[in-house]
Amino acid sequence: MAPSEPGPAVPPTARVEWPDEEAFREDAHARGWTDGLPVVPATPDRVAACLAAAGLAPGVVLGTVPTREVTVTAEVAAANAVMAGCRPEHFPVVAAAVRAHLDEYGNCHSTTGTLSGAAHAVIVNGPVATEIGVASGAGCLGPGFRANASIGRALRLVIRNACRAVPGELDRATFSWPLRYSFCFAEDETVPGWRPLHVQRGFSPGQSAVTVHSVMRMISAWDSSSRTPEGVLDTLVAETRVHGMSGDAFLGDGINVVYVMGKEHQRFFVEAGWTKERMQEYLWPRLTAPTAGPRDRWTNLGAPANILVVAAGGAGMAETWILFPHLARAVTRPVEWGTVAP
Amino acid sequence: MSIVALDPTGRSGAAGGSGGPGASDPAPRTLAPRPDSLAGARLGLVVNGLGHSERFLDALAAELGDLAALDGVVKVVKAGVSVPPDPGDWSRLTEGATVAITGFGG
Repeated sequence: MAPSEPGPAVPPTARVEWPDEEAFREDAHARGWTDGLPVVPATPDRVAACLAAAGLAPGVVLGTVPTREVTVTAEVAAANAVMAGCRPEHFPVVAAAVRAHLDEYGNCHSTTGTLSGAAHAVIVNGPVATEIGVASGAGCLGPGFRANASIGRALRLVIRNACRAVPGELDRATFSWPLRYSFCFAEDETVPGWRPLHVQRGFSPGQSAVTVHSVMRMISAWDSSSRTPEGVLDTLVAETRVHGMSGDAFLGDGINVVYVMGKEHQRFFVEAGWTKERMQEYLWPRLTAPTAGPRDRWTNLGAPANILVVAAGGAGMAETWILFPHLARAVTRPVEWGTVAP
Repeated sequence: MSIVALDPTGRSGAAGGSGGPGASDPAPRTLAPRPDSLAGARLGLVVNGLGHSERFLDALAAELGDLAALDGVVKVVKAGVSVPPDPGDWSRLTEGATVAITGFGG
């Protein structure tokens, strides 16, 4: 693929010189360019390698935050990706995540400024996940996987450095939370009969895509008793409705919830021949039924397709993680490659 | 050996940078002068729509009305809690209010 058109003229990003790498590391902290952990210097060569991998010219605009007068170029995103520890082949995924997050309905200003300290889940689908090693199996929501850690961190550094969501300034989180360091995983696309998330959202199986979902809270629905699809789904409904979801006229009925379903729950659906679509049809009327009391809250999901079921995790624990949304839609964008194959 | 790296903020005028406006350099802003008095002012209220924000700002406006002879209140209730006021509401505020109060949270 040839490099994308550069789009509107945007001045190049500043270059800064330090005496050595140790001086850079310390100065990066002093300038507030990090999440508190060490960062890798975004040298021009490293940034150029990222841009080449994605086929992006430096000035290509990945998105804007109008309320903050922020424009995020490919070059700035690549600089943050390098600082987060990304290899060049990770950057096409980062660029897609930045585009998804900066979509109007990704609602960057609200989801990064909120008192609630919402995080952002980056869900990777398609061949790229295997090609660059984005983990989808045991332990995939936690540390230990370079691609997961560095891609999720790259989006967070873009949010901090380019989008100015700095704690105490435009980031007004009361507590914030650890998911704001990094939160990226892939879907396990090997579950028989289940269409991957990006295919459900209109992409072909051979394409790669990234879905960014704002996460206001994340709760484990643990159920080791149920032995049927209906039993597991009823548990998900009950756990979801304890908290409910808040909406916003701006989002209309487009808000989403994500269920990250582990293997010990998946198997009941596979054995019974349930597709994701059948799960969505079962869940939707139960999630949107009128409230029956203070611990049974309504959810404002506009349609069954707003319920996103993602397979991930390892064996052993009978649980599904519920990713409750903040005030944004889950947005999916394609991963586009440049001249460098992984 | 020295090292050169890109400024990740996108602001080319950052300290030590090459100067000049960058992709994310905000337009220069200055704070408006604070009024000496609210006497005769038309008070703008920007209600974010969360929680009891409207009740709180209504009560605040009533308190301010007891302290100063306001010329009126221009209240805007945002159409969405997570987005700015719409252009029509901005016009009502900028054209009809002398000062405005808002807040975040609910």
